[in-house]
Amino acid sequence: MNAPSPGSVGPPADHSLPAEAYARMTFVLRLGLGVALAILGGGIVAYILANPGATSSSVLSNNPILDYLSFPGLGSGLADGSIGAVLTLGLIVLVATPILRVVSGLYYFRKVGERAMVGITFAVLLMLLLGILLIGPHVR
Amino acid sequence: MDLALFVVLIILLGIAAGLVGSLTGLGGGVVVIPLLIVFFGASVPIAIGTGFVTILATSSATGAAYVRDHLSDIRIGMFLEVATVPGALLGATATVLITHANLESALLVAFGIVLFAIIPGSLARRHIELPSPQPQDSRSSYLGLTGTYHDNVLDQDVAYQGARTTPALGVMFGAGIVSGMFGIGGGVFKVLALERFLNLPMKVSTATSNFMIGVTAAAGAGVMLAAGYVNPIVAAPVAIGTAFGAYLGSRVLPGLRNRTVRLLFLPVVAVLAIEMVLRGFGLP
Repeated sequence: MNAPSPGSVGPPADHSLPAEAYARMTFVLRLGLGVALAILGGGIVAYILANPGATSSSVLSNNPILDYLSFPGLGSGLADGSIGAVLTLGLIVLVATPILRVVSGLYYFRKVGERAMVGITFAVLLMLLLGILLIGPHVR
Repeated sequence: MDLALFVVLIILLGIAAGLVGSLTGLGGGVVVIPLLIVFFGASVPIAIGTGFVTILATSSATGAAYVRDHLSDIRIGMFLEVATVPGALLGATATVLITHANLESALLVAFGIVLFAIIPGSLARRHIELPSPQPQDSRSSYLGLTGTYHDNVLDQDVAYQGARTTPALGVMFGAGIVSGMFGIGGGVFKVLALERFLNLPMKVSTATSNFMIGVTAAAGAGVMLAAGYVNPIVAAPVAIGTAFGAYLGSRVLPGLRNRTVRLLFLPVVAVLAIEMVLRGFGLP
């Protein structure tokens, strides 16, 4: 995805971060999105082919990934080649992509010695991981 | 409806959502959620779960281009995510609990009200291209919340600095709750906070909002996914369509004047808000 540059002649918005940080975060976002879409795209095609009589009503009333929302369930589903497990994996990659961008930010703020921003970014990461891993399964 | 046709239509819906989302700073969920409910018969929580996927795709697609071109302010975005992430976790948890209590109609009405709430603020500043300079507060100065970008439409370098960070954090927490509850990214509120309180130019606000909403959405999506409210047969085509639409939008944004961007999305928001409130009261 190569969008034209909206501000190519301007200096970086954040003068303290190296250009490499911008490039790496761009790479993370693109790679994560690309991988997630490839998995989801392949999964949806496989699902359609495997369910020729399926309708919109049937898929809206039956979520095919409910058995794969735990790590053991996802692992065994992938090992069995389950389409539902593959679709779950695609969704997890999509959710993880912006989180990996936060990890990139943490790395580069640490690299340039910005202790305050390291603390802020680490707090964001911690809240994300604890929230997703603890709250979601608990309220299910 | 046949599943293959359903998937094709959902992809087209995603393209429209991605286009609108990337042009307005919304995540696109504001388009996807009501249309999934109205035209495709999706339940409210499944529509909201799909909204998160829309946001994630939009943010990753447009966010990548804006980060590469240094239009997104990473430092300001990261700083404000301290407020949006806990808000999103709280909001998504509330939606799951409300759904468990069979109060989906209340969610619809609240969603419509939230959509209405964004219109006055947008209308009030629709003629402003660049904000008047304001002094940095101490927190903004300590964290170095400043930057510069080149505006192609105005053909000039534009410098900016973050102003009132405390109210901005408060609004961002609220935006996080809204995002987590309704799967809409809260981009409208984020853009308003970035403009009104931090006093950032519209294009930086839009790009930084797009950059931020992915993290906010990841928090909400993680909760909804784990709770079983993200259906990939709906979400996967939406993600594919949204990513493509967002890419198209990111190619259009640099050539648009800010006022055009605002005027593009306000009528859409108004129509969808009315529809959601009517449905919430059982008047489709």
